[in-house]
Amino acid sequence: MFALEVKNLSKSFDKIKAVDDVSFNVPEGSVFGLIGRNGAGKTTTIRMMMNIYSPDSGEVTLRGVKVGQEFKDRVGYLPEERGLYKKMKVIDTLLFFAELKGISGRAVAKKAKEYLNRFDLWDRRKSKIEDLSKGNQQKIQFIATILHDPEFIILDEPFSGLDPINTNLLKEIILEKKKEGKVIIFSTHLMDFAEKMCDHIAMIDQGKIILSGSMSELKLKYAQKNVSLNYEGDISFLNNHPIVNKVSDFGNTTGIELKESSQTKELLKLLVENNVNIKRFDANEISLHEIFVKLAGGEDKMEFKKESANV
Amino acid sequence: MFNKRILTIIKRELQTKLLSRTFIIMTLLVPLFLFGIIGMQTFFVGIEGDAGTSLKVFTEDNSINTMLEKAFNESDAVKNDKYKIDVETVSAAELDKILEFFKNDLLNNKISGIIFIPNNALTDKSVQYYSKYPNNYTILYKIRNSINTVLIDKYFEGKSFSEEEISFARKNVDYKGFRVSKEEAIEEEGFGNQVLAYLFTFLLYFSLLFTGTTAMRAAVEEKTSRIVEVLLSSINAKELMTGKILGNTITALIQMFIWLIPVMLLISTTWFVLPKELSIGINSFHIIYFLLNYCFGLLTFLGLFIMVGSIFDNEQDAQSGLFPIMLLIMVPFFMAFSLRNNPDNTLGLISSMAPFSSIIVMPARMTLTDIPLWQFGIAVAVNISVVLLIFALAGKIYRVGILSTGKKPSWKEVIKWLKFNY
Repeated sequence: MFALEVKNLSKSFDKIKAVDDVSFNVPEGSVFGLIGRNGAGKTTTIRMMMNIYSPDSGEVTLRGVKVGQEFKDRVGYLPEERGLYKKMKVIDTLLFFAELKGISGRAVAKKAKEYLNRFDLWDRRKSKIEDLSKGNQQKIQFIATILHDPEFIILDEPFSGLDPINTNLLKEIILEKKKEGKVIIFSTHLMDFAEKMCDHIAMIDQGKIILSGSMSELKLKYAQKNVSLNYEGDISFLNNHPIVNKVSDFGNTTGIELKESSQTKELLKLLVENNVNIKRFDANEISLHEIFVKLAGGEDKMEFKKESANV
Repeated sequence: MFNKRILTIIKRELQTKLLSRTFIIMTLLVPLFLFGIIGMQTFFVGIEGDAGTSLKVFTEDNSINTMLEKAFNESDAVKNDKYKIDVETVSAAELDKILEFFKNDLLNNKISGIIFIPNNALTDKSVQYYSKYPNNYTILYKIRNSINTVLIDKYFEGKSFSEEEISFARKNVDYKGFRVSKEEAIEEEGFGNQVLAYLFTFLLYFSLLFTGTTAMRAAVEEKTSRIVEVLLSSINAKELMTGKILGNTITALIQMFIWLIPVMLLISTTWFVLPKELSIGINSFHIIYFLLNYCFGLLTFLGLFIMVGSIFDNEQDAQSGLFPIMLLIMVPFFMAFSLRNNPDNTLGLISSMAPFSSIIVMPARMTLTDIPLWQFGIAVAVNISVVLLIFALAGKIYRVGILSTGKKPSWKEVIKWLKFNY
């Protein structure tokens, strides 16, 4: 049983097809990553899941029922571009957002206190948002996202613009919520982060899903033919070698794709014979980045910054 | 359509608006400002600059001198405005010498003027006035009655007329305006209703523009600060817009109610007694209609202003986009002023029931003339239809606009938004 099923979503703006027949499933209790470069259609997909946009065609179902207002009440959403009312007080802000989700009263006020204490902001509860530092405003935004104890947490590019402390804090919240059995969905263009956090992913490129499924299965599927290599020396002899499909330089590591998965031993032998100084040879590892490049096109098409998320 | 989420939005609007410094200051300042304008106008008109005017009156027949002096001394000109009037007698032949003698004083403004009352004035009331500014009617008007009285008294002296008959002859024609209305009593009409018509027109014009621009600015801010996306994850765009409009409408209505308290006390209690010229001929029905009408006006224009705010992502662009909507307020504003002379002309009749203009013209018109119930009925029906139309239209544009960023959209694109399936 899937918690959320996205079925054949399409959405055009004027003549541009932003999302083209997108389908994927989000299992119960999973951390789900929607991965793609900027402009791939992630935010539009998320907005359709949230019922902020209505799709041209297709639908999103929550445990078999089409999503509507009921879903909105059970979601905590952190959009990529965040915003709070500048002149509103911290505590008023939190209670206002909870009330919009239909939750008010003493229980939620108590919870707000707990979170503010945990994030060292209780003594700032009467301050106006504009008087807080940017980092503290981000913390308030997290609290506002989860204060009503949502079953689903949707985070759009959650780590963009976060300082390292808040990055860790958000990571902590995600793991904590995962333990509580909540479904966490986030979009990101940071592969490293997705790789470490997600157990299910969907990759989107130019509005189309190019890959989806559980992380371990995907890795298994793609890893066998791939070798991840750290070395010193010259490996140019591999470029046109009959057992090698492709050599990709990822900076830190080099990915070598073989024609057959059984050829890893042969590759190792070749490297040793050619006096390559091997630092690391990993035949069972493929990074999401490598999978993405393989599926979405060559390095020249990549806009990914080689950012590494601090996770 | 109405639900708890809308209520939450309304609650926030009220919390942030009603307790804000702007609201309190505006509520107190606007009446001061209005009274200030009215007071200032009276003050400026009151400055005639004729206090301390010095006049010389020469008569050919000295038998009226005492009567003239007495009449002048009793006049307002001398009593209030401190005119200095000397009465002497000269012959017609000597007048030229006198004028020559006083010429410098006249040119230096030491004397404002010389009045010569020849003998034949006693029969034809024709007097001569010599001055640097012979057309200064303020002075002539103020002493005219005194001279008239004396000439009449002199004329009738020794003739067998009673005091009553003479006083009738002295009197000028006096117009009094009476308002004929459906109510039984025909009431004497003062300026009161005209002042009220101005007041209503001003209040509507000013507060619709102010409330509208404030709401528009808030919409632009919500859009640029991106808070709107967080809001839309809980509530749909139409609910958000409805909440915003209703919140602002309630705030503005409360403010207007406070502003109208003095008027309501005037018509419903006897705490204040206005001079007859300022009496007000409206009743509580008119006040209720005014507030209802204001409510329609707010719903209509807030819808339009917030819609404009949602289209643009900075205030400058939004201000320029406001122009067509400002016209919908400004043109009726001038129409309402033109009603003064004849509130029942065709323009007044149509504009008080036409979409948009009705909101500003009808309140002014209803204070100036008696309006049949059916006209109120049409105005209300028209206003409700406009509100419904605006909500449908603005809702669609708001939905698209509030999430669109980047390039400033053209009107053509905005019209396309209406067809979007968002």
